[in-house]
Amino acid sequence: MNRLLLVLIPLLLTLPIGISHSQTQDATTRQSGVVRLRARVKLSDSAPLRGLARKRFFLIPGSLEQNRALVEAIERQPLVTRDCYYSKHGASPALIAWLKEADCESVYCRDVEQDYVAGPKAVPEFATAFAASEKEFGNAATARKWLTTNVPANLRDGFYRDRKSVIDALLKQAPAGAVQSVMTDRNGTAFFTDLAPGTYVITNLIPTELGQSLATWNCELQIKNDDLAAEKPYLISNRKDRLVKCVAIEKPAPPCQ
Amino acid sequence: MKLGFYILVLIWLQPGAVDYTKFSHSTPKHKSACITCHKIPTKDWTKASAFPDIVDYPDHNACVSCHRPQFFRGARPPICSVCHVKTSPRDEARLAFRNPASKLQFTIEFPHDRHQDVIALRHANPWRSRLLAHAAPQQNFNNCTICHAPAAAVSTPPAGGWLDAYAPPAATFKAAPSDHSSCFSCHWKSQEPVATNCNGCHKLATPYVAAAIPARISLKFMHDGGGEKKQHVAECTTCHINITKSATSRGLKPDVPITACTECHNKDGLRQDLNTELAALDKNRAFTCVYCHTSNVGKLDAPASHFLIAQRPQFKRR
Repeated sequence: MNRLLLVLIPLLLTLPIGISHSQTQDATTRQSGVVRLRARVKLSDSAPLRGLARKRFFLIPGSLEQNRALVEAIERQPLVTRDCYYSKHGASPALIAWLKEADCESVYCRDVEQDYVAGPKAVPEFATAFAASEKEFGNAATARKWLTTNVPANLRDGFYRDRKSVIDALLKQAPAGAVQSVMTDRNGTAFFTDLAPGTYVITNLIPTELGQSLATWNCELQIKNDDLAAEKPYLISNRKDRLVKCVAIEKPAPPCQ
Repeated sequence: MKLGFYILVLIWLQPGAVDYTKFSHSTPKHKSACITCHKIPTKDWTKASAFPDIVDYPDHNACVSCHRPQFFRGARPPICSVCHVKTSPRDEARLAFRNPASKLQFTIEFPHDRHQDVIALRHANPWRSRLLAHAAPQQNFNNCTICHAPAAAVSTPPAGGWLDAYAPPAATFKAAPSDHSSCFSCHWKSQEPVATNCNGCHKLATPYVAAAIPARISLKFMHDGGGEKKQHVAECTTCHINITKSATSRGLKPDVPITACTECHNKDGLRQDLNTELAALDKNRAFTCVYCHTSNVGKLDAPASHFLIAQRPQFKRR
């Protein structure tokens, strides 16, 4: 049963619950390809293989050769790590540690608990923002919940915006309106759906920080009509293995200057 | 015939023929910057809200500058009824803001993909993982719960009552976000679109009546359900597989593949809920599938996906 499920899942993914019979007839003529992406990485040789959670991947129509200019641009781009970005923008060590604790890229990814506003664990940026918010909103509860409205923009989500502008610039070199992007879940799984048959490049566009290195994936894959090649996950990793279809190019993280 | 047409046009052109009891944001002269009329936050917001918000209609100034003649027309100027409970200069009581009886004039623009990028928490709190390894994981992966929360109260029954007398429990639906509190906590003054930039999220649309409850194919599914053990604890994106690529909430579909259900509900040695109902349907083509569905859906032909996953030949009721 489980084996059969593996074969059927990609097909079934194109059929939402409750789809009518007449709609399923149309499924054969529409874009119905599916890629079940599974990203698993090792942070070091001794570390266990684990799902790469919450990373955005892009599926770009065309072969590597057809997207050569884009792939070269991806490989040429300057790399700035998260810690380096925040250091360069004057973040306190406490803020950098707070972000690192939950692997956050912005201050929006977790609640700012009272411990980080005042007391020995306080993050200076949060303490300052809280004081301003309390003055503005008149009560401590709103001040803490709305604290990020008084954090300077660069320290709030500047790292995300910087990366977004790099992605937007890179995507200008891709076929307009034809790029899909999805984010992996906590197990490193994500689905690209409604794909037309053809050749695609799967890429993360901007390098992923894996411990002390940066990993970039740029691989070609094929989607065919009624393609059962998708019956198994499309496995990508930073380690070679017979099941891995796309291996990352890893580079040491550059020194922060 | 022609004369009749001209009379109709003349009647239509008469200033008095305009229905001033209805306010439309689509009227060309009502399309100024939102803060021309709506002050953010509203004066005395603390009396009506726990957070700075727009909690009341604009002041008279917003209307009088153009509508002075309508303000002083008769003892009960119709224009007053846009905001006021009674059209009388002696009664200042206003309708609830916004008036639940009026149609919605805007849709919401919300890019899920950007929000997920910026709020993504790459791994769960490590301390929680260590201390509560035995406990069921919470549904807060991907940080969806920053904005989304189960309804606290049971939904109001639709006109005519609940189908099959099945009243969905409160936790069936996600009720938040339902107001500005989820948005303004980040988008108050410096993170665009900011609170004064209403148009950043609210897009003018053809007026519509909001559905009382969300459309559901499997009404009996509960996000926080899964029986007494509350086993519906999967990560939101495990089932809603297209959410992370959604750049807007317009036309957003749940996109839940049947495999999201049958991994538990049609598994050897575990449960056979789908198989059981398809077998019953095979025996009796009038059978109504009720495990997941109410009868409006359960009496339809089962879709191909259901037969495929249950490894049964597909058939129709008739």
